[in-house]
Amino acid sequence: MSRKSFPYRAPGGDLKNLDQPGYYPGYSTMGQKKSWDEATRKVVSARVAETPSIRFFSPGKAALLAAIIDRLMPQDDRSESRTIPILPVIDERLYTNALNGFRYEDMPPDREAYRIGLTAIDEMARSRFNAPFVALSVHRQELILKSLHDGKPDPDHLTWKRMPVHRFWALLMEDCVTAYYSHPWAWDEIGFGGPAYPRGYMRLEHGLPEPWEKEEQSYEWNAPVDSLSEIEEQGAPPEHTSPHGHGGSH
Amino acid sequence: MTHRLGPMQTLPSPMRKYAEGEIVDYCIIGVGSAGGVLAQRLARAGFRVVALEAGPFWDTEEDWVSDEKGSHELYWNDLRITGGTHPLALGANNSGKGVGGGSVHWAAFTPRFHPSDFRVYTEDGVGADWPMSYWNLKPYYELLEREIPIAGPAWFPWGDPHGHPYGPHPLGGVGDVLVRGCTRLGIRSVAGGPVAILSASHGDRPHCIYRGFCLQGCKVGAKASTLITHVPDAVNHGAEIRPHSMVSRVSLREDGRVDGVVYLARDGTEHFQRSRAVIVSGYAIETPRLLLNSACPGHPHGLANSSGTLGKFLMAQAGNVVVGRFDELIRLYKAPPAHALSEEFYETDRRRDFARGFAVQTVGPLPVAFAKEMVAAMGAWGWGLRRVMMDYNHWATIGVLGEILPWEDNRVELAEEKDQYGLPVAKVIFNLHDNDQKLIEFGKNKVMEIMWAAGAKQVVQESRFAHLVGAARMGKDPATSVCDKFGRTHDVPNLFICDGSILPTQGSANPGLTIQALAARTADYLIKQGDAIFFSNRRDLAEPGIRYDLSPPYTRFKGIPRIA
Repeated sequence: MSRKSFPYRAPGGDLKNLDQPGYYPGYSTMGQKKSWDEATRKVVSARVAETPSIRFFSPGKAALLAAIIDRLMPQDDRSESRTIPILPVIDERLYTNALNGFRYEDMPPDREAYRIGLTAIDEMARSRFNAPFVALSVHRQELILKSLHDGKPDPDHLTWKRMPVHRFWALLMEDCVTAYYSHPWAWDEIGFGGPAYPRGYMRLEHGLPEPWEKEEQSYEWNAPVDSLSEIEEQGAPPEHTSPHGHGGSH
Repeated sequence: MTHRLGPMQTLPSPMRKYAEGEIVDYCIIGVGSAGGVLAQRLARAGFRVVALEAGPFWDTEEDWVSDEKGSHELYWNDLRITGGTHPLALGANNSGKGVGGGSVHWAAFTPRFHPSDFRVYTEDGVGADWPMSYWNLKPYYELLEREIPIAGPAWFPWGDPHGHPYGPHPLGGVGDVLVRGCTRLGIRSVAGGPVAILSASHGDRPHCIYRGFCLQGCKVGAKASTLITHVPDAVNHGAEIRPHSMVSRVSLREDGRVDGVVYLARDGTEHFQRSRAVIVSGYAIETPRLLLNSACPGHPHGLANSSGTLGKFLMAQAGNVVVGRFDELIRLYKAPPAHALSEEFYETDRRRDFARGFAVQTVGPLPVAFAKEMVAAMGAWGWGLRRVMMDYNHWATIGVLGEILPWEDNRVELAEEKDQYGLPVAKVIFNLHDNDQKLIEFGKNKVMEIMWAAGAKQVVQESRFAHLVGAARMGKDPATSVCDKFGRTHDVPNLFICDGSILPTQGSANPGLTIQALAARTADYLIKQGDAIFFSNRRDLAEPGIRYDLSPPYTRFKGIPRIA
């Protein structure tokens, strides 16, 4: 990934080259793996140790998607060695054509959705800024992506007449968050306890940490000055409803 | 090699295997909530039973992990098409695959349906009446609550008030939020259950360790699934559970009776299982899909579909998730997602402008699910998403579980596309109607009010749906329903349906317990009828009388705790 757009602490100072962003310094889920069951240890350790190679996307499309992912799930604050792989995870899902159990009737199959969606984003960049998406500044990339997020593609593109833009957005975001927040380094960042069998948890109330968890140490920080991806007051556009398959549901 | 079902229990070995061509008494299609209970009962009663399951036969120590992404294979991931005005998310949301079916990944809330659920049409002029009453099912609720067994409060005040055999679980952070918010608004709530999760050890199953991975399959063996509660006893009594067997067609003889099923094994080879009667337990999508795919001369629109209602009146419950941010830490990943609820708004209230109601329940999304919720509820992306996720431990999540009425246009059909077996896939069409939308709006606002009252500093919500039932409903009238009150299809005397698809309405209770109770009742009926099922077309609708001697070991009950 490229590193060019840094968040910064409220009193000043870029947040960059961090081994562990977030408010739980010193907390490590992988440090607990000796107390996990064997099957879980195998699956999670492999996720950290092995990054699948790119087999589905062409080099050009892979570079384009990488640039998009850098804005949807930015990691500019993370050090090179602690960057969570996202593109390889999406590529593997599409290469193996792993499904999530359903497809919306107004959507093409996932592989096709990625192919035409990526092409559309690049053509939008060329038509609005006379340059390929990968060559644009962070701000210009985010202008394009935010128009998709808002459901008002700017400039409009024929693809969004054939494929609902909010569904494509949801597809991209779900694939990105699945790759990022299934990684133990992301669990360290957000203070999630991670696997807990056979040991379990013993302090259930009042948000108390287990002896091996850490207390929160939060601090104020700001998104990079050239970023448009902070959450807006009015929240999600109304069509952003129920796009995903699993929500810790009833 | 030992096949483990939790850390202490193992699958009885060897399992009986029927040879190709051998005829059995009952072939059950799908080993989920209903199929597991049916196989156990029928085997114990001495019938020759083969249960075909499309997915694997889980070894919980080897196959299950404490990890969201690594649990993907628990779900029915094969292609389905979803559409309508409010298309349902399928897959992980509501469809299991593998022995235990949906009971492997359910959150395990086990409220009973209310007596009013069985008479919705009579009382409210909408939906449908059941061809039975609550009081027919009540003894089976009590029996299954003991067999599973259920942990919960000593006093559950709604519907038909009752207690629970195992004590309630300790409260987690999200349950605390629900109880606090409800209490401040004068709304009654209960905590610690009712859930199908052990609060104390039971036979060879340990108690809950509060690790929060209920939906990923409970490696602990504390959360009940039929894989660990009923299937071992079924195998012990001679049932064969045959995994990786995808049924493609139920076979009809010229005399109008079924004689077996065609299925595809893991290696793609086609087999025929001969059977004197067939029970379809594939759940609300696969059951109608299989019967539609089994169309044949005499049944041109699908097997047992002379009424034209097969696939129709599909229901899902409104499952809006309300998410509140608190200044203090919650750590919502601890404790079972399902552990506190209120049914104060369950019944029709004439002061509201809609029929029926909703429940309020805790939910507990782990990081990937929570991130998806933030994407949907807040439109989060980029740095905004990273920021909101860094506050994961400050958020609490409470769900609406709202009754959506059965509508004819909500349905399962066959699509043009084929799956990996070459079978037409299901197309699911779902539309919200006026009553549903009013109910959801009211329920969502009420739960947001509860979240604010609990002290949240920010409250957002995501619209979604939970559970699937209907699409092969039971009823008294063969012209408007697919099967009778015992699941026997109106059209084919030795073809039964037993799963969530036979529900005429769904209440706002999670359906799992009701499905298991119905399965135990159908099993009693089949046992009472004996050979008549195999040789006679006569339909006897007399209640069978409950059998208390067919429970799995160590679960026989001497009365349910009841403070009334």
